[in-house]
Amino acid sequence: MPAVAAVAVGAAVLAPPLLASADDQGLPPVTPEELVAQVAGAEAPALSGTIVYTARLGLPSLPFGTAAGADPVNLMSGSSTLRVWTDGETRSRVALLGAASEYSVVHDAAQAWTYSSDDDEVVHYTLDAADVARLQELEKSGPPVQGDLPTPQAAADAALAHAQELSTVSLDGVTTVAGRDAYQLVVTPKSTTTLVGRTVLAVDAETSTPLRVQVWSAQDDTEPALEVGFTDVTFATPTDAVLTFSPPAGAQVREVVVPLPTDAELAGAAQEKTDGTLPAGVTVHGEGWDTVVEVADVDVAGLVAGDPEALGDLAQHEPTIGSDSAQALLEDFGRDPSQGAPGELDPTALFDAITTAVPEGRLISSDLFSVLITDDGRLLLGAVSPQTLQGLA
Amino acid sequence: MSHADPLASATVAPVATAAPVPRAQPGAFGRLLRSELRLVLGRRRNVVLLSGLGAVPLLLGLVVFLTRDSAMSGQGPGFIGRVTENGLFLVVASVFVCLPFLLPLTVGIASGDAIAGEASAGTLRYLLVTPVARARLLVVKAAGALTFVAAAVLAIAVVGLVAGAVLFGLRDVVLLSGDTVPLASGALRVAGIVAYVGLSMTGLVAVGLFFSTLTEVPVGAMAATVVVAIVSGVLDTLPALDAIRPGLLTHHWLDFAELLRIAPDWGVVAGGLGVQLAWVVVFGSLAWARFTTADVSS
Repeated sequence: MPAVAAVAVGAAVLAPPLLASADDQGLPPVTPEELVAQVAGAEAPALSGTIVYTARLGLPSLPFGTAAGADPVNLMSGSSTLRVWTDGETRSRVALLGAASEYSVVHDAAQAWTYSSDDDEVVHYTLDAADVARLQELEKSGPPVQGDLPTPQAAADAALAHAQELSTVSLDGVTTVAGRDAYQLVVTPKSTTTLVGRTVLAVDAETSTPLRVQVWSAQDDTEPALEVGFTDVTFATPTDAVLTFSPPAGAQVREVVVPLPTDAELAGAAQEKTDGTLPAGVTVHGEGWDTVVEVADVDVAGLVAGDPEALGDLAQHEPTIGSDSAQALLEDFGRDPSQGAPGELDPTALFDAITTAVPEGRLISSDLFSVLITDDGRLLLGAVSPQTLQGLA
Repeated sequence: MSHADPLASATVAPVATAAPVPRAQPGAFGRLLRSELRLVLGRRRNVVLLSGLGAVPLLLGLVVFLTRDSAMSGQGPGFIGRVTENGLFLVVASVFVCLPFLLPLTVGIASGDAIAGEASAGTLRYLLVTPVARARLLVVKAAGALTFVAAAVLAIAVVGLVAGAVLFGLRDVVLLSGDTVPLASGALRVAGIVAYVGLSMTGLVAVGLFFSTLTEVPVGAMAATVVVAIVSGVLDTLPALDAIRPGLLTHHWLDFAELLRIAPDWGVVAGGLGVQLAWVVVFGSLAWARFTTADVSS
């Protein structure tokens, strides 16, 4: 009897994945070119679903790393769950879920809200009236375009041709993502020195919506280093209740008016983009997957520690704890004891925990990318091995 | 499965090991169940335990109420920060506070004592003398333990609701996503949370019942049950065990927060309850297999 029960439970756990295994039958074959064109040409669908993001970057584990609630910092490592709802047009909601908390971003045409359940704070982003009028006009007339707009097919061909200079683009077998059949587009770098092994994009066969992105490290072939994808998706317009937001009574609402860039600024930005000029102090080594970006004159210590707003926050409720050693521990790691759990970590301690000392400075090494911060204030970043960066420094 | 071989325990009273399956008398099961419930709910230590659990929301509510104007207001783990705005959250906060230790302790006491308590008091064999099948006695004992656990969760919820309403008042409920729902639908969600937490304890009740059939020392079974809950909680924090964590007894306990999101994903709720069901099936059948074949000598 217990054995029967165990078998029944085991079957209940294991059966759904087995039943859900994809069958290649029934899906029309596509070429990579067709698939890319379909994705480029597809309209953003109305959908609601759950997205799970998992990072296995091989970074050193953080102290108290998993203790925090719904905090964007958690995206650095481990796994996060997001819920998304969108009507495919101007309204959407994204919620980052914590065990007993939630961080929501609601976008509703020309305004947006963020809400954090941890501190009950609402931020309301709006455009001023003149900008709203300008945006509406822009939407009516469409953005200014020089020359002809490329068709999705042409844009896809161009993108694919560009990608194929540096990578091999191929199709993998049909897979199942969130219970839906999906094609898999695999982009494999031609370079052998980059840390990126391959990137796999799973595209829904029916709606051509990208359902999952995996980035595999060249060093680990068992699990993707980065994975973000739907675990559950429904293609239907969500209810209005989900897509609108009104701040709760009693919550503090911070109003932020976002300036819309003027036409002149937009033109300037476009110009800069086509020129390919880099901001001062930034140099680029190598090309393609082996690109290393070097930024000079980075005040790392200032960047890590100097956050005036955070300091102001700290001054408001300076924690005191009875025991000296507990106080010291708190000063080492904690910043905000008010939440009980050590929600935010002291950035300096965090920086020391994830970097290692090398002769050139401090190094962050992961399965996908390396960052070297030299003692003379340069920052080198690339999807290459730490040795390559040290050679360049 | 057959009953124990009488020869194997020739020294003990034959009536206890034996057993032609007694013929059920009409109404006997109901009488047994009623007497068990009277025993469980009337026992003084159980009443004290229930009052202690009921005191948790009262204490929590008073502390939050007295400090509401100080700098510490709105601080604390989980949902305590929301209590001052809406008394309904005192129910949620109390359940949240009791979930890691106090409720498993209650489950341990209720289920660990179920069989082992009778065995240690020497009353188990007399229970088996009366014409009652062992499986049926096990079901009655399980029902008694479940009833007590339900009473414990309800005690927390009811005291929390009353204390919250008196101290802070009841208002429309602000969900975790920042949206506001009317009080009636908010109260329904909180009732759902209480039900989910109560059902989340069923797996542990089955584990405790199994331990209770293994020993004649009730304290041992109680402690082992609490240890299972704590070890499960510790294992749940180890990233290396990612593969088995979703199946752990305690992994889904905090998923009750799902009911406070704007569009609850019922799959998450069902998943949590499904894991409890799996533990109930496995350990319930283990308890059955053990109890129907064990020699009862005391």
